[in-house]
Amino acid sequence: MMEVTSKLTSGCITSAESVLITQQSHEELCKVLNANKASTSSKKLVVVSVSPQSRASLAARFKLTPLDTAKKLTGFLKNLGVHYVFDTTFSRNFSLLESQREFVQRFRKQAEDKKALPVLAAACPGWICYAEKTHGTFIIPYISTTRSPQQIMGSLVKDYFAKQQCLTPDQIYHVTVMPCYDKKLEASRPDFFVQEHQTREVDCVITTGEVLKLLDQEGVSLPEVHPVPLDSMFGNLLEEQLSGHSGGGSGGYLEHTFKYAAKELFGIPVKELHYKTLKNKDFQEVTLEKDGQTLLHFALAYGFRNIQNFVQKLKRGKLPYHYVEVMACPSGCLNGGGQIRAEGESGKDLFHHVERLYEMVHPEDPEMNKAIRDLYDQWLGGPTSEQAQKHLHTQYHAVEKASTGFSIKW
Amino acid sequence: MKDSLTLLSRIPAHPDSRCWFLAWNPTGTLLASCGGDRSIRIWGKEGDAWVCKSVLGEGHQRTIRKVAWSPCGNYLASASFDATTCIWKKNHEDFECVATLEGHENEVKSVAWAPSGSLLATCSRDKSVWVWEVDEEDEYECMSVLNSHTQDVKHVVWHPNQELLASASYDDTVKLYREEEDDWVCFSTLEGHESTVWSLAFDQSGERLASCSDDKTVRIWHQFNPGSEQGGAGSGTDPTWKCVCTLSGFHTRTVYDVAWCHLTGALATACGDDAIRVFEEEPLSDPQQPTFSLAAHMARAHSQDVNCVAWNPKEPGLLASCSDDGEMAFWKYQRPEAC
Repeated sequence: MMEVTSKLTSGCITSAESVLITQQSHEELCKVLNANKASTSSKKLVVVSVSPQSRASLAARFKLTPLDTAKKLTGFLKNLGVHYVFDTTFSRNFSLLESQREFVQRFRKQAEDKKALPVLAAACPGWICYAEKTHGTFIIPYISTTRSPQQIMGSLVKDYFAKQQCLTPDQIYHVTVMPCYDKKLEASRPDFFVQEHQTREVDCVITTGEVLKLLDQEGVSLPEVHPVPLDSMFGNLLEEQLSGHSGGGSGGYLEHTFKYAAKELFGIPVKELHYKTLKNKDFQEVTLEKDGQTLLHFALAYGFRNIQNFVQKLKRGKLPYHYVEVMACPSGCLNGGGQIRAEGESGKDLFHHVERLYEMVHPEDPEMNKAIRDLYDQWLGGPTSEQAQKHLHTQYHAVEKASTGFSIKW
Repeated sequence: MKDSLTLLSRIPAHPDSRCWFLAWNPTGTLLASCGGDRSIRIWGKEGDAWVCKSVLGEGHQRTIRKVAWSPCGNYLASASFDATTCIWKKNHEDFECVATLEGHENEVKSVAWAPSGSLLATCSRDKSVWVWEVDEEDEYECMSVLNSHTQDVKHVVWHPNQELLASASYDDTVKLYREEEDDWVCFSTLEGHESTVWSLAFDQSGERLASCSDDKTVRIWHQFNPGSEQGGAGSGTDPTWKCVCTLSGFHTRTVYDVAWCHLTGALATACGDDAIRVFEEEPLSDPQQPTFSLAAHMARAHSQDVNCVAWNPKEPGLLASCSDDGEMAFWKYQRPEAC
């Protein structure tokens, strides 16, 4: 059996999909880099986009700060022949801005559209795979159409960055480093295939654990690598520091959407969110109240059991939430199936260590990011343009359930 | 020896279908049967005869594999190949479906209520075991999804007085689970059977667990507390379960079910060779290395595979059985004097 993924998808992955997953590995990246070295004419520009969750996992393993990890990883990848190394926190600014804007739009439409609410977050590909296969047409209208940071990075690299470099999208080989195997499945969705150039927006996803394998394979110890400054396709502003987002290791979708909606819909500024833990630590809620009335009611539901419960409640019309941040893995993305496994310490201790490292990075407000504002103008032609819709949003497809076979004795 | 098990009555419970499973209510006054005809029948005694009091027909789209009564006797849960579990509420002689538990990917194979009545376990061909929590408003929430088995899970059963769950699987193992913080964890895997484990039964004390298998044997597992000689050192706070007895050479085909009478200690089995057997522990055998002897053997108890045996919880020696032939039978067991 192959090594998959969140518990959510381990049972519902088809053999065709498992082929798509195994086709993406660190060996594939090595093949491309070797082909580049061997060829003089048809070289590909190799771009690697690293997720902040993977960086935190590597930092924990090698006892480095997140910034040192970023610089040393950049150094390591460039020594291998990678041309550019980016951080998917940058594209997450778009994901967060689009998520919160989409929520407010749908909240205002709730009277005429019965399925406008609740909005279900869409950044987790394990959850999306499960939703499409298990609850299909019922659940799809509720799912946010905003692309995940990985897939917005895909657009940025294969569209904006390619044009900047005067290259066609297929001349770039784009790799992401992710805490999750299901991200490979996401990258291979037909929705993210550029027909015109017969190329994927993200060509290959490798997990944090596979980066560790790559280091081993090359006989390199990350702490000993000479640090190299981070790349930025958008000026050199953040060269010597990292930035993150508030609201937890899964991206902060609930937190950003909550604050934005409170301000935008009710004129109430919210500085800090008070999460209330419900049945278990992976099921929490936040409310905005005024004069005894609940204005906003948000929840985060991580792990299969909590997803199961909220979907059943939604089916029975008993789900009280306006928004649910859904993640397939218990404890969210920092605990993703692709992260580096504990060695010597307990899994729980390692998780808290990774979480602390992740939170060391200073959070920024995506609305204050000038580079993002400029990209909305120059690349997309405004926040609500057709181009913005095309590059920052996606769609979902109900999947017919395969019928089960029959055997003789049950 | 044959006289120790006598037929009381035989009823075509699910005609032209298979009768899969039987469950006595806690007071032993009602017996629920389920079958391939997608129905549940509730049987009660009128005079000397067992008569059908209710038919629960609407609820499942496919075969109903198992049924279980809640400890209070007011609810019945049914596990079906349609991937759902229904909860039926008893109102005099009527039953109303008050909840349908969805979530398993495919066939639900078994369902069991914890002794407290606030937890329910289900298992499925999807290889998972689920623990559900029930609130006062008959709302069921999934507390845990346990993916410890590598194959189809055939049966789940709760310890008679602790919140400890056991499951049996096509992967030839038995797994034991307990609650830890806000989730459930598998703390022990019982290995020994050489083929599918079909069913499980705890004895009255809960210190012993019987398992039956496609390998034609029944195994008796005994709980040893940590720190005890047999429990071994360094196993933390969890008790250790060890196989203390294997009943082999008695069954000629798959053993589909095992039932441990909590009143008398007799152990009954349902077998693919159409027979019912009853075993008794030798009175002078070492409790940590017990020997069991065959006390009754009813060959051709049914005309096809026997799927289930169930001891009445109140009347010692009253045993019900059911079969692929669609029939249900009631037996009177009397411990042979030589035993």
